[in-house]
Amino acid sequence: MCVLCGQMFTEIHWSERLLDPETVSRGAGETIRRQGRHARTRLLGKVLAHYGLDVSDDWSAMNYVVGNRKGTQQVVGSVAELWPTAAKMAGRALDPLDPALLQRLRAEPEA
Amino acid sequence: MTATGRRAVTVLSGFLGSGKTTLLRRYLAGHGAGVAVIINEFGAVGVDHHLVRMVEEQPVLLRGGCVCCTRREDLVRALRDLLDLEQSGALPPISHVMIETSGIADPVPVLFTIGTDPVLQHHFAPASVVVTLDALNAAGQVERQPDVRKQIIAADWVVVTKADLAPFETVSRCRMRVRQLNPTARITVSRLGDGSDALAPAQGTVRGLPPDGDAPGAPHAETAAPHGEVQSIALGFSAPLDWSAFGVWLGMLLQARGPDVLRIKGLLDIGEAGPVVMNVAQHVVHPPEHLTAWPADADCSYLVFITRGIDPACIADSLETFQRAGGRTGLSVRELA
Repeated sequence: MCVLCGQMFTEIHWSERLLDPETVSRGAGETIRRQGRHARTRLLGKVLAHYGLDVSDDWSAMNYVVGNRKGTQQVVGSVAELWPTAAKMAGRALDPLDPALLQRLRAEPEA
Repeated sequence: MTATGRRAVTVLSGFLGSGKTTLLRRYLAGHGAGVAVIINEFGAVGVDHHLVRMVEEQPVLLRGGCVCCTRREDLVRALRDLLDLEQSGALPPISHVMIETSGIADPVPVLFTIGTDPVLQHHFAPASVVVTLDALNAAGQVERQPDVRKQIIAADWVVVTKADLAPFETVSRCRMRVRQLNPTARITVSRLGDGSDALAPAQGTVRGLPPDGDAPGAPHAETAAPHGEVQSIALGFSAPLDWSAFGVWLGMLLQARGPDVLRIKGLLDIGEAGPVVMNVAQHVVHPPEHLTAWPADADCSYLVFITRGIDPACIADSLETFQRAGGRTGLSVRELA
């Protein structure tokens, strides 16, 4: 648990771990984490828009807030929790092989 | 020990009578120091080693989990017990743990248990899954026993045993069967019980590397006909991948299609000095390992997918689309030929 914010960390998702432990000792770990986080949340937003959902970071950039058009919001701790929660809110499976989703992503303005 | 200071865990699996215990005994005869052995209650008759723990396999399916999300309570207890005894000084330092499963056990829950237990994940790290396959009986077992196919697909290293008792053609067909099911596995043909080096933890560092003598992802002539509904594809990339976009894509793929994504293995160039080793067995993603430099025998980025009932071309198309949406606009994904 973080003693400053009270955030309880149970497990860091594999995709969110810093791959190079040296970055921590160089003091660049948090900057790199936030950069990766920003890119991830942006792409998640593009994907979830296909299902009528949106996603943002909470104030600490440690949790994701998933919302639907009815104003319902759910806070999840990692991308591992995000997918089943988003599928439940969307009422259908979220499949990255879905041709309609891929068509939509291809039509997005370039990042 | 692994590079991260954790005790390396080798999972030794294989169907009943396939030679697991022979291989284990051979290995312990030469490398016994610092090795702890966990065996199931029905196995390993005659393993004479001072650090043997017997367990009764107790898989517990987690609520809402698929079969690979099964926690092996017996292993949690046995490994924590080993840790307690070692840290209290009752056991000498342990650098390597060998877990011999029963003949019908699925190795993936063992990996899941070590990777998700809040204590064990800090002290133990999977090094490799080694599977023994009896050359004499492989053909029938692979066709009739889903457990055997599952073990081969989960393997990093397959040791084809009893090759001294089987005709050359039979051994050849056995190798071909393994290749068809798991093109990423290394294969050792064992005669008179040799080949136990496959169990050494040092081999864990090559978990993501291509099998001996192969160009990354290059198809084998013998894999031309996929085994039944199991398909495999090797993908290469025109540029370094975006790691964040890859994480989003793979997380979503495993959530949606996890039971049909049997294995993913490879080396990824993400634009840094060394590649990232990816190793996924069903839902279980080994923590990606960052290498500081490219290994001598691999110099390009690739991923091998072993799937069931998924068109491999869809995987390539989807991965490329997610990479482009994540900012790698010029990146293309191609099937390695």
